[in-house]
Amino acid sequence: MNESFLSSFRAARAPRLTTLRLFLVLVLLDVPLDGVHLVAQQAQTNAASSCARCHAAQAGPQPDTPMGRGMQWPDANPLFKSHPQLSFRKGPYTYTVETKGNQTLYSVTDGTRTISLPIQWSFGKGGQTWLFERDGNLYESMVSYYPSIDGLEITTGDSVLTPQNLDEAVGRKLRKTEPKDCFGCHSTGAVSMGKLDLEKLEPGVTCEHCHAGANAHMVASFQGEAYGTAPPDLKGLSSEDISTFCGQCHRTWEMVVRSNWRGEINVRFQPYRLANSKCFDGTDPRISCIACHDPHKDLVREDSFYDAKCLACHASRDESANLSAHTVAHRDAKPCTVASASCVSCHMPKVKLPNGLMTFHDHEIRIVKPGAPYPD
Amino acid sequence: MGGVKQVLFGDVNFRPKEDARSVVSIKSRPWRVCVLLILAFFAFFTPAWFPKATGQIAPRQNDLIAQASAARMQNDIPRAIELYSRAVQANPKWPDGWWFLGSLQYGTGAYVPARDALSHYIELIPKGGPAFALRGLCEFETGEYTQALGDIQHGISLGAANEARNEQILRYHEALLQTRLGNYTSALKMYSIFAKNGITNPELIAAIGLAGLRMPLLPKDVGMEQQSLVSATGDAAYRFLAGDEASAARAFQELFQRFPTTPNVHFLYGYLLFATDPDAALPEFQQELKIAPANADADVMTAWGLLLHNSGAEALPYAQRAAEQKPALPSAQLVLGRSLMETGDLKEGMLHLERARQIEPNNLEVHLALATAYSKSGRKEDARCERILSLQLSSSKGATPDHP
Repeated sequence: MNESFLSSFRAARAPRLTTLRLFLVLVLLDVPLDGVHLVAQQAQTNAASSCARCHAAQAGPQPDTPMGRGMQWPDANPLFKSHPQLSFRKGPYTYTVETKGNQTLYSVTDGTRTISLPIQWSFGKGGQTWLFERDGNLYESMVSYYPSIDGLEITTGDSVLTPQNLDEAVGRKLRKTEPKDCFGCHSTGAVSMGKLDLEKLEPGVTCEHCHAGANAHMVASFQGEAYGTAPPDLKGLSSEDISTFCGQCHRTWEMVVRSNWRGEINVRFQPYRLANSKCFDGTDPRISCIACHDPHKDLVREDSFYDAKCLACHASRDESANLSAHTVAHRDAKPCTVASASCVSCHMPKVKLPNGLMTFHDHEIRIVKPGAPYPD
Repeated sequence: MGGVKQVLFGDVNFRPKEDARSVVSIKSRPWRVCVLLILAFFAFFTPAWFPKATGQIAPRQNDLIAQASAARMQNDIPRAIELYSRAVQANPKWPDGWWFLGSLQYGTGAYVPARDALSHYIELIPKGGPAFALRGLCEFETGEYTQALGDIQHGISLGAANEARNEQILRYHEALLQTRLGNYTSALKMYSIFAKNGITNPELIAAIGLAGLRMPLLPKDVGMEQQSLVSATGDAAYRFLAGDEASAARAFQELFQRFPTTPNVHFLYGYLLFATDPDAALPEFQQELKIAPANADADVMTAWGLLLHNSGAEALPYAQRAAEQKPALPSAQLVLGRSLMETGDLKEGMLHLERARQIEPNNLEVHLALATAYSKSGRKEDARCERILSLQLSSSKGATPDHP
């Protein structure tokens, strides 16, 4: 595998499309240019729908996936429409998230003083954390919305903070380079050559985010030059490279080890967990992020959906009847002696984050022994 | 032994309420006494660290010991030294005698005999952390820098730095020695603890400047012509290490203007920026290479910065030059291995990573890279071994503060 090929994928987080070219695309797509904000909002959907003319199976459903909606403008955030008034109290501080018209205000009060700020960016589709600007600095909201409780709670990771005053209670001031990481993963085009430029961002993960050159390819295809301008095909990557690619946002194995993020909190970092699995093989396409998940579609939550993925390696003789000849020929791992269905329910158990508000399937595939501690 | 503390602390000018923000001066006698007293305190009041003394004391020798003790209490140090010398000659297996002799000799500046006396003590009490630390301080004074560093570090590992002021003294000397021996980044890491705690004085600033400029000197050895460069560099770096990045940025810009062609100034700023803002650090390393094209460390850091940008092809020439200039530098082999991996030469990349592992077996970055390389090349079991090793090494260094 040619590594410069991989490098071109990784550069996807650095957008290639200039604002001018984006406008050109939108003009070509006959998008009304009545304001930059609206244009930017519509860019994702229109760009994707344009891609969908040729790549319907991928670009059609992708914009509504959790990645596609990894970031939303407040005025296009369905949560604010369905929950115009959210509130939460922690110690002496009361937080409210109130939507009136197209504006959502994030407020915190200690009973005597109140700080209110307009929410500028919503991160996440289901669970949401908000970012806002204050005195020239970017802040992460101290509280987030969690679907599991249909309400607000302290933002994951911030429970260790103990605000000493109202100003500190507003939220966590982002570290110098943190905004690049946040916007780099939750939006497209915000980071270019290591620099953050919020004027250029498109909300969420768009085609261009992973397929660097997709927008240019789209423009070229309108000019009859579709062939030869297509971005490199990600399917050619090895399992290890796929993990590294997805891990740019979902955290790579190296990132987690380097930072020594241990404990249940790292169950969120699937590439790390998967690489720790005994069965992980960086060259075997049967065990990779995209072997089980189609990033263009919503996550499949039925355990049974994944049985075939496990049986691709672990099928017994009896189970082989339902599998393809290729799979049967290559199955080489021990079959399970207990069951042949709902494999993930035992071997990839659900683990709650320490705050108890979010649950993830552990991607460290293993034989789970009763009472054994979480292998971090 | 019960009265030792009272005696020791009663007969010298101990200054426990001295401003904690001033760091020890290696030249100052009161501080030397302070070192002595703190270590003595640890030596005699933490018996868990010390096996029980085994030397048998003959009845007639008790008189000699009593006289030596009395001389010490009366601050008649020369006589106390003479009497302890006679006592240990009569009974060389009396560890306390060697300790008193060594520590009193250290207090008078007789570093060579002090070192030797402490060596006798260590032979009898091999887990005596304070004795190792004090012997290290003797060796620091006699110019035996490699031995001094080893003894101080061993002393610390045996608990000689368990008390805050003790730790300050020993860590400061350890950092001075790291600089003197060319381990500049280790020294800067230690100085950052002082800066974060707001501890400062001109000697510390000069020491930071030396580590930053990668000059293998002690502050006392800086010539007049270099003092302004060293102190201005130390001041800029101190501000950064103390967390005042805005003020440090201004200080560094001023430094660049005053010393536009001085090597390592841009490298230092890049090094400091790298941990929190590698994008901002990269131009500093590149500027350093314009001033000092043979700076292999700047080549390494430039390559590393480019690798973080997923620019393996751009990183490769820097990495190759670093490895050519300093083939024994593990980080040079590491970035070369990484760059080769990123540009498609996995096999050659692994060879350089394995070379880096051979030079520095406990380098986490090398094991991380090898785990990925083995995994990509289908060496599943080797990859797994490297992953396990990496996890062990990472556990030993603790979590980073920016937990997600």
